[in-house]
Amino acid sequence: MPLESKQENDPLVWLEQHGDSLYRFARSRVRDSFAAEDLVQETLLGAYRSRDKFSGQSAVSTWLIGILKHKIMDYYRKLTPESGDDTIDEFAYNMDGLFNEKEKWKIKPGDWGGDPKSVYERKELMAAIHTCLGEMPEKMSRVYTLREMEGATTDEICKLFQTGKSNCWVILYRARMLLRRCLEISWFGEKE
Amino acid sequence: MRHWIFSCKQITGKISESMDRKLPLLERMGIRFHLMMCKLCTRYQKQLRFIRETLRSGDGSKESSAISCELSHEGRKRIKKNLLEETEGGK
Repeated sequence: MPLESKQENDPLVWLEQHGDSLYRFARSRVRDSFAAEDLVQETLLGAYRSRDKFSGQSAVSTWLIGILKHKIMDYYRKLTPESGDDTIDEFAYNMDGLFNEKEKWKIKPGDWGGDPKSVYERKELMAAIHTCLGEMPEKMSRVYTLREMEGATTDEICKLFQTGKSNCWVILYRARMLLRRCLEISWFGEKE
Repeated sequence: MRHWIFSCKQITGKISESMDRKLPLLERMGIRFHLMMCKLCTRYQKQLRFIRETLRSGDGSKESSAISCELSHEGRKRIKKNLLEETEGGK
């Protein structure tokens, strides 16, 4: 079923109605604000060019997000060759400090109490997570975001970053360790 | 026999890995065995799961809005201009 009203077919209307949410979606995955804007633009252009393919079975917003996801993957793919693993290796030391020589916890995971329930708290928590992700080496946060937010499989990630599976697992492991620790300090307010 | 007895440090790695793939039975047992006795690693596992749930539940078009940001005025203008070029140029 093709789009019926002319309005629904107009990329300017899409920009008006979905621009901000597309941008937020992009920004939560791509740090560079200009790159995120470009992605929104590419998405709307892409949507316009393939408007005949839109089946009308899903909401316009869902359709646009779907296109945006592809654009984000393309963006990651283009960036990949430049980013090496060196920065990630530098973060190894951070982890060693967490355990003692018997490999038991030295800096013990704190009690985070109950899960944040209110919308406000959840929003704040998400903001804290994004701040922490921003402090990670970029490749690491990209791999991690793909896995946890997009639910990409390790296979897909390995292909994208042209790296071996075990390396992927190591990157994900370090990302989780770092993020957990960062949240413990910034969000759950551990006294250091 | 000892290769399924993990230290806390090893367990944190295995727990993370188990979130990305299905581990061999022996390792899964090793994790369970360790967690039965280790409160801290249990806590660690819960926290990792909690972070994942938080990230995944905040997904989708609506609630990725955790980051409160909007398209900048200039950005919007630029996109508009390029869209107009495309739509009008195509006619």
